[in-house]
Formats: sequence, structure tokens, C-alpha cells
Amino acid sequence: MIAKTKYIPDGKKELKELPILHYLDANFLYYPVTSARCPEGETCVRGGQFVKIGEVIGTRKGAFFEQPMHATVSGEVVGYEKRVDQSGKVVDCLIVKNDKKYNFHASIKDRSEAEINALTKEDFVTIVKDAGLVGLGGSAFPTYIKLESNDPINIVIANGVECEPYLIADYSVMMNYPHEVIEGLIYAMKASGAPKGIIAIKKKYTEIAERLNFSLKQYSGHDIKVVKVGNYYPQGWELEMIKNAVGIKIPQGELLSKYGVLNFNVSTLQSIFNAVKKRLPVLERLFTISGNGIHNSSFRARIGTQIPDLIELAGGYKNVEIPKVLILGGPMMGVNVTRDDIVMTHTSTSLIVLNEEILIEEPCIHCASCVYSCPVSIQPTQIMNAYKVKDKDALKMLQVNKCIECGLCSFVCPSKIHLTEYMRLGKRYASK
Amino acid sequence: MQAIKQTSPYVRKLVSTKRMMIDVLIALIPVVVFSIYRFGWNSVIRLVVSLVIMIGLEALVIGMTAKPKKTDITFKEKLKTKYSTYTINNITAPAVSAVIFAMLMPPKLPIYAVAVGAIFAIVVVKMMFGGLGGNIFNVAAAGRRFISLALTGMFAGVYVGVDAIAGATPLSALKNGMQLPALLNSYPISDLIMGNIPGTMGEINAIAILIGLAYLLIRRTADYRLVVSTVSTFLILMILIGVKVYPDQWFEFVLYNLFSGGLLFGVAFMVTDPVTAPVTRPGRWLYGLLIGSLIVLIRTFGAYAEGVAAGLLFANMFVPLIDYPKWSTNKIRPRFLIGYAVILVIMCLIVYFGAGGVVL
Repeated sequence: MIAKTKYIPDGKKELKELPILHYLDANFLYYPVTSARCPEGETCVRGGQFVKIGEVIGTRKGAFFEQPMHATVSGEVVGYEKRVDQSGKVVDCLIVKNDKKYNFHASIKDRSEAEINALTKEDFVTIVKDAGLVGLGGSAFPTYIKLESNDPINIVIANGVECEPYLIADYSVMMNYPHEVIEGLIYAMKASGAPKGIIAIKKKYTEIAERLNFSLKQYSGHDIKVVKVGNYYPQGWELEMIKNAVGIKIPQGELLSKYGVLNFNVSTLQSIFNAVKKRLPVLERLFTISGNGIHNSSFRARIGTQIPDLIELAGGYKNVEIPKVLILGGPMMGVNVTRDDIVMTHTSTSLIVLNEEILIEEPCIHCASCVYSCPVSIQPTQIMNAYKVKDKDALKMLQVNKCIECGLCSFVCPSKIHLTEYMRLGKRYASK
Repeated sequence: MQAIKQTSPYVRKLVSTKRMMIDVLIALIPVVVFSIYRFGWNSVIRLVVSLVIMIGLEALVIGMTAKPKKTDITFKEKLKTKYSTYTINNITAPAVSAVIFAMLMPPKLPIYAVAVGAIFAIVVVKMMFGGLGGNIFNVAAAGRRFISLALTGMFAGVYVGVDAIAGATPLSALKNGMQLPALLNSYPISDLIMGNIPGTMGEINAIAILIGLAYLLIRRTADYRLVVSTVSTFLILMILIGVKVYPDQWFEFVLYNLFSGGLLFGVAFMVTDPVTAPVTRPGRWLYGLLIGSLIVLIRTFGAYAEGVAAGLLFANMFVPLIDYPKWSTNKIRPRFLIGYAVILVIMCLIVYFGAGGVVL
């Protein structure tokens, strides 16, 4: 209908009630050598070599940074195979055979409080860099680059909004490990020199707010607050979240640090805590299998676990005769894959399997629901028309590059037009 | 298990174009029921004629313009390919246009004129511009305007009166020089609201129209911005004229204008047609302002007594200008508010001077 749409049925309530199964002893673990941000990579282990938890087994190379890979089990390196990674591409994977002894590498030992207090900004950056930490919200942007910034930082924000439907990874981190999140936030504040910290959560998560506030009593020496922001989509988009949480309006395309703000996902902060306190890289994550085409289940699994194992444990697909849509990530912005031999990486949070629904595109009736709903105030229907006639000037005038591909325009369209796809095509065409 | 390739987003909202069209048809029910109650078979026949013509001709034009595949050999195969895109919207959308068009007809207008208007509306105004979503003019309004211009003679004596001034609608009576006190004796405001006046079949009962409008607004099938902007502009300008020309009875004058001449019907069912409206919030406010002031100008200073259809069609022509990518935006910016206020003030001045506000 002709109205601004903000709320999407999120289906999280049922998922939160699912028990979390621990699946930490896969026989073989797969480590992609490359990733979406790092098109090149190399390993530094040989077949037959034994590795331990936390040992560096290779390096992924991006455009302006390098990122170490770590083993998450102890065992023997057995070779390479091709698997699908989080970005939906088929990549080479290093295989480690799990010896189920879970020996830690010699470098993995806890830091004492005194050691942590003595750390300087450079030390924090090195620790985070060596642990290979990336934005776990899904961007996989290297965390140390954010910390390295020389701009004065006033405020560090922990983003726990997770506005996409069907995702509960951040929710469970905040619910189960509030201290790790808070201490990770304190380390990030120390590293950036920010006096203030904020944890942004959805308004409806009263249980999370209570839990975090209770845990915060132990950290009264630090200025950390829990801020409740809207329940709507896309509240988790960092600019929208910062606007509502601290009232700073940041134009698109500007660096957050220029405005004295740093933003981390709560899961990233937990991984900072683990890296600083325990010298651990990211070892495991919560992975949810959901959707109407599969038996739903939640897992805690090691990075490198194969998803087909988890699918089998969950109970497999429902109604196998109906074609399925496989989605990694959320249903609004997630990545579509056509094979299910997926490997869990740092940024994996969820696999959604939906039964295929056949949508027939009707003509646009100019109802403007997409225009009203667009969070960046562009006009999807006009961009679609401009793209159809290949009008580059009009596309630029309509600011197609502002699109964040949140998917709301396609979601609201009563004619079932796939506007988000036109936005992508339009962006590509305008920059050609 | 077969995996399908799709791109994000993978979930959709439970809305459809079909549902929006059916909403409009539901909203039209009170109006249609009243017209059948008041005019009986006259109303039914004109409704059926325009429904059959519009739905039938839309299907025919699709069959004539769609291209069959090269592999189709038999007539049946060709027909199947041609109608592969024929959906429920090819029935509901012309049905909406047809019912609105029929409701714009005077009850005694010859069937011939109704048929000509319906054919013009569906073939020229809608299908030649590309069918659903492609038309730049409101289908029903253009059809109505076409026959009232082309077949003016047939409109003589078509209105069913209950009163001494047979054949004159309340507005044309006002236009023809009748003074307000006398008019209010012939057409009291209560009659205007209850539909006890001469006029086209749909426009006369304000209550039925308001029920339909309320339904459309509650279902969010109609954009309230269009309704509010049009009606408020209309009221502001009419109050200005009323205060100037009938200082003692300005309130009755405004009500009289509000409830006559198909203004409410036009606002509820024609102005809110999304296809011919701009696509941005500021654009829709401006569009309403344009329609509201054009209706007042045509009614007060033009040659026609009723200006809703003409004003709407005129405003339709400005839609591509309002939506021009260079300045169209969905943000309500200060410069839009200033522009809106300035246009409104200019319109007020035009109307005030036009009504003899200042004698030079």
C-alpha cells in the first residue's frame, strides 16, 4: 500500500527459542585461502604438517592489507579442495583433519590485567591485526584499519541492532557473553582514546538492556551506556544507527572517524576481547539454519565447519520436490548460493532456505511505495525507468550511487518488480 | 534438492496491485449502489456498457498488439503467446476505470455517447500509451472530457431534476446567474449531501463518496497527501471568494461548492489514481495544489460550471515536469515549503482580484 514501510516480519522469536547445539568436532575443517575482500592468498603449511589451535596457516592478501588465517582445531593438514565461501564464490580451501585433541598453540596464553593496562594504541592495532579480526557484522572490513585512524575519537559505538529478519547471532552474543562485549568495548575505547562508549540495541530487546545494564555495574569506572534505538529496518545500517543513537548526522561516503565516531559490531567487540585477553583468533560462531524449506536449528560451530554437516544434524531439507532458494546472511541483503557445500567463515551467521515462490512482475503503477520507503531518499521507480532507457545523465541526477541495496524497494512493491536489481544494474551502468 | 538463483531481497511484502484495484472497486460500492437506487436501469445499463467496452477492448488491443513467437504455428498457439501476459490486472484495472467513467455519466445521456467515451478512454487514453501504468492522463476523466467536448449537444436535458429548475445542476444554476439565497431554497445543503439533486450518477451523494474515500484512506490505497492538498487548496480559495462575494453567507457558499459539481467524487477516485500522479511526497502536495486551484479557477472564471475533470487533466500534463529527475526529491526541503506557500499566495491573490477584490 502507499505508505512508508519500516517493519518487516522478522521471525526471530521462534529462532531465539531454539536450543543451541554445540557442533565443535567436525572431522575435517576447511579454510578458504581467499575471501571477497582478499582476492589473493597463500598458505604457509605443507600437507602432513601438524597444526595447533591458533596457529597461523596462511595469509590472505587484500588491496591494502593482509590478513592471517588461523587453524581452529589441532590436526594434520591434508590438502586442498574447492568449496563455496560466504560471498557465494567457489574458492580453494585448505583442509585440516581434526585430531580431536584441541591442543592450543604455544602463543595462546592469557594476558594479565597489568599487561593489558600497559598496552598502547600501537599494541592494540598489532594484536587485532595479528588475530586477523574483521567486521563480523558481514562487511568483513579489517578491524585494525578502523582502530588505526589518527582522527580524535570521542565515542565508540557497539552496534547490536541486527535489523535483518531471521538473524540472532548478535542477540545471542549479547545475551550470553555481555561481559566479553563490554570488555571488548573498553579495549576499543582504550585503543582509540575515546572517553565514551555506547551499546546500541533495539527498543524491543528489554531483556538485553537489563542484562547489559546489570553487567555494566561492574565497570562503573567507564562511561558506557546502553542506548535503545528503533525496531525498524534498516536501523542497523551504521549511519542510521549513529543518527538515532548519538544524534550525529554523517553524510554517505564520509569516514566515521572524521566525525569522532567509531562503530563496531558487538560480535567484533567480543572477538577483540578474545584477541586481547586470551590471544585467540575467532574460533567459533553461532550459526542459525532457518527458513520454511528446512528444519530450523541453531549451532555453535567452529570456523571452517562444513555447512552440509550442520544441515544433516538439523534434520535436512523439507519438501525436497520444491525448488529452494539458499541464502547466506539475512533475507534482505544476503548472498544467494546455488550449492550447499558451503564452508563457515568469520562472517557466516545464518543459512536461510526458502521454498521458491514464483513472482510475476506487473507493470509499475507509480504508487511510490518504494520512494516513500527508501532510507536514503532516492526514487527507485524513476531510476528503473531511467535504466530501461539507458539514460546515464538521469541516473546520475537521481543519485543512484547513494543506494545501499537494503532491498526495501523490492520488498514493498505491490507489482512485485525487482527494483533492487534495477538499482544494481543502474549503479553499474552509471559508473561505466 | 534444486537450488534456484535469485538476487536479494528474497522476501516480499504481502501487497499486490490486484488488491489495490479491488480496494478501489470496493470503495466504489456505496456510490454504485446509490446510483442504482436513484436511477435504476439507467444506471445499470450505463455501467454494463462501459464495463463491457473497457474490459473487452483492453483484451482486444492486447491481442492485436502483442507479438506471437516465431515458433507458434497454429492460431491457438499464437493466441496463447499473445495472452501470456494477460493477468487479473487486465480485468480489474479497466473495471475500475469503467465504473468511475460510468459514475461520471448523467443518467439520461444516450448510450451511444457513453460507448464513444468508453472507447476513447480505453483505446486512445490508456492502451495507446502502453496500458496499465503507462497512461499519462486519467482514463475516466479523459473519456468524460472527450464526450462533453465532442458530443456537447447530447448533454442537453440529461439531468434528472426533482425541482423547478429542471435540467440544471446546482453548479450550472449558480453559473447561470442565480443568486445564492434563491439557490439554497432550490437546493438545500442537506439535499446536496444526501444526493437529492440533479447531477451525474456518482457525484451527487456526498455520504456514499465519503464512505468510499474513508475506506481507501484506511487501506492506504489512496495517498492522503493528494486528498488533503487538493481539498485544502480548494477550500482556502473558495472561502476567499465566498467572503468577498457573499459576505453574509460565505459558509453556505463554500459548503455548496464542496458538495456539488463532483468535487468529492473526483478527489476520492480520480485525483488519488496513483498512475497519473507524481511519485514523490513534495510532488504530490504540489499536484494537489495545482488541481485544487485549477478547479476553483475553472469554476469561477471559466466557461464550464464543473472543472474537476478538466483541472485534473490539466494537472496531469504537469506530472512529468514535477517528476523531472533534476529537481524531483522525496525530501520535504525548505525550498519546497517556501515554493508551496508562494504558489498558494499567488493563487489567493489571483482569485481575490478575479472576484473583484480591489477596484482600481
